[in-house]
Amino acid sequence: MTAELVTDLTNNTKATTMRGADLLVSYLKKEGVDTVFGYPGGAIMPVYDALYDGGLKHVLCRHEQGAAFAALGYARASGNVGVCIATSGPGATNLITGLADAYMDSVPVVAITGQVTSAVIGTDAFQEMDVLGMSLSCTKHSFMVQNKDELASVLQQAFSIAKSGRPGPVLVDIPKDIQLADIEAILETSTVDEIASYDEAQIAQAIELIQQAKKPILYVGGGVGMANAVDELQHFVDTTGIPSVTTLKGIGTIANTKPYALGMLGMHGTKAGNLCVQESDLLIVMGARFDDRVTGRLESFAANAKVLHIDIDPAEINKLRASDLSIQGDLIKIIPALEVPLNIQDWQQYCSELKDKYRWDYNAPYRSIYAPKLLSQLSEQLPRKSVMSCDVGQHQMWVAQHVNFTNPRNHLSSSGLGTMGFGLPAGIGARYARPNDEPVIVVSGDGSFMMNVQELGTIKREQLNVKIVLIDNQRLGMVRQWQQLFFEERYSETILTDNPDFVTLASAFDIEAKTITLQDEVQPALDEMLNSKGAYLLHVRINEADNVWPLVPPGASNADMMENV
Amino acid sequence: MTLHTNNLKLIVNQSPEVLERILRVARHRGFEVKLMHWNSERGELEITVSSQRAIHLLMSQLKKIFDVKQVIDLNEQIDAKSA
Repeated sequence: MTAELVTDLTNNTKATTMRGADLLVSYLKKEGVDTVFGYPGGAIMPVYDALYDGGLKHVLCRHEQGAAFAALGYARASGNVGVCIATSGPGATNLITGLADAYMDSVPVVAITGQVTSAVIGTDAFQEMDVLGMSLSCTKHSFMVQNKDELASVLQQAFSIAKSGRPGPVLVDIPKDIQLADIEAILETSTVDEIASYDEAQIAQAIELIQQAKKPILYVGGGVGMANAVDELQHFVDTTGIPSVTTLKGIGTIANTKPYALGMLGMHGTKAGNLCVQESDLLIVMGARFDDRVTGRLESFAANAKVLHIDIDPAEINKLRASDLSIQGDLIKIIPALEVPLNIQDWQQYCSELKDKYRWDYNAPYRSIYAPKLLSQLSEQLPRKSVMSCDVGQHQMWVAQHVNFTNPRNHLSSSGLGTMGFGLPAGIGARYARPNDEPVIVVSGDGSFMMNVQELGTIKREQLNVKIVLIDNQRLGMVRQWQQLFFEERYSETILTDNPDFVTLASAFDIEAKTITLQDEVQPALDEMLNSKGAYLLHVRINEADNVWPLVPPGASNADMMENV
Repeated sequence: MTLHTNNLKLIVNQSPEVLERILRVARHRGFEVKLMHWNSERGELEITVSSQRAIHLLMSQLKKIFDVKQVIDLNEQIDAKSA
């Protein structure tokens, strides 16, 4: 089938006949997908043949895991469904970590995998793997297309499921014979399921709870951003003057500059945030799920507070903490309905005093680079619409603590799964989600960076303007920190003094790079990086003894935070 | 901790892997399957599970499975009848 014909079919509402692979490409275009990320192989070859002149932008990542994270980064930075494509067997298994990450962080992703020909499924054919079986625990739903006539409706369902309710990843496994089969189908785009409407009486009860509270606090998760309710929440915060904390995924929902915004809570949260949550008498939980990194010891988490829990997913209500009142529904509608004036000046003042008392101290009276200060400087220089994509570890927590975000779509961080190797490919995906005047910055660590370092090849191939700040302590820093604090300084397999020369590595991919080691070098280096035209790697050497503070030790209450030891 | 035993009835779409999905969720969420009766023609599963965890934690997760249309707590039905 020629490209022209496929293009024509995209807008056709009549049943037409085309190869399964062409149907897929036509469907993706009709669905509004403009970019897909993937890697070819035997059992997906018909799809790659259709992509050859199918009029859809395909980004060749250099590992299927990179393609999956790029799709995640695209989805998180745009709010649209991200699409990744891989072949059967190893191609599909390499996607699994990305799907698990998307599942834990509720990211709408559709993964298309090739499968061996239907007739040989179950015979241990070359590159055969039971991908449907593997997908069960790490996707919201998954399909193996069993009949060519269901392909179009399966694709439509996959997109509908990925976007509806609490979003998540969906896998579609397509046997090669179905990709090659002539299929007669009408292509119809996906729909989003209507969200069950809440009971008005619950709103009245919720308002009563809020008005009775003397020390209410908002605990905001990623669900608010995913409900597109950021503006509604900011309005709610402005109107009520209610103090707030956010989870890692909720960062950006409430700007830290708001007077009673206390930043992130939990293990590496702010001391003010954690103490205020502990003292609160009403926890208003919006789109959050009492993750253990948030609560510390669950029994002691905000032990004297009543709980008003609002979430789209009924399975999160009363899962870990019983709520006094819960509302299941769409946050974009619920939040405005809860706006009431409050009389909580004493509490506001208390929160504000703690915020001031425990504000970050960037005083670093030594020559070596203090990463939190560097990130704070970078944050001040970046335009508001910049995207920052992190990896996992100490640098990730420093970004969460010291960069001011004004929208959760600007902060890409593997939160639930905590996947090292996320940052670089997610940043690549974000580059396609955002216009060129919105900078994309990857902040990585020397451990995480090496986990998907092959994606520098994607940056080179696509000539992407992605800036990389590589914070290098020659350690797996977060594990090292825990070994120091909780394993008697037995630094098992966390010393990376044999790292490659990162500047040379970058130059092998034609990426401009520079190493800095002293505080005096930071500002000019940031300027140089931000003013550079294309990709840039800023290699920042820091002292391995720099740890992430404060810290709630494992098994402790959030009231008992360790500080610099 | 006390073990609770519950009987559930699930009405499901007849996809080939629906039984795997249900059993996986039961295991992962901390429930042991003691007994089950599966009618594939009708798409009905009756299942007896045991756990220290409250049954609502399993039911809410089972309801999230795309191919599960309905989850009925048969214990509650029995309780309702005896009341």
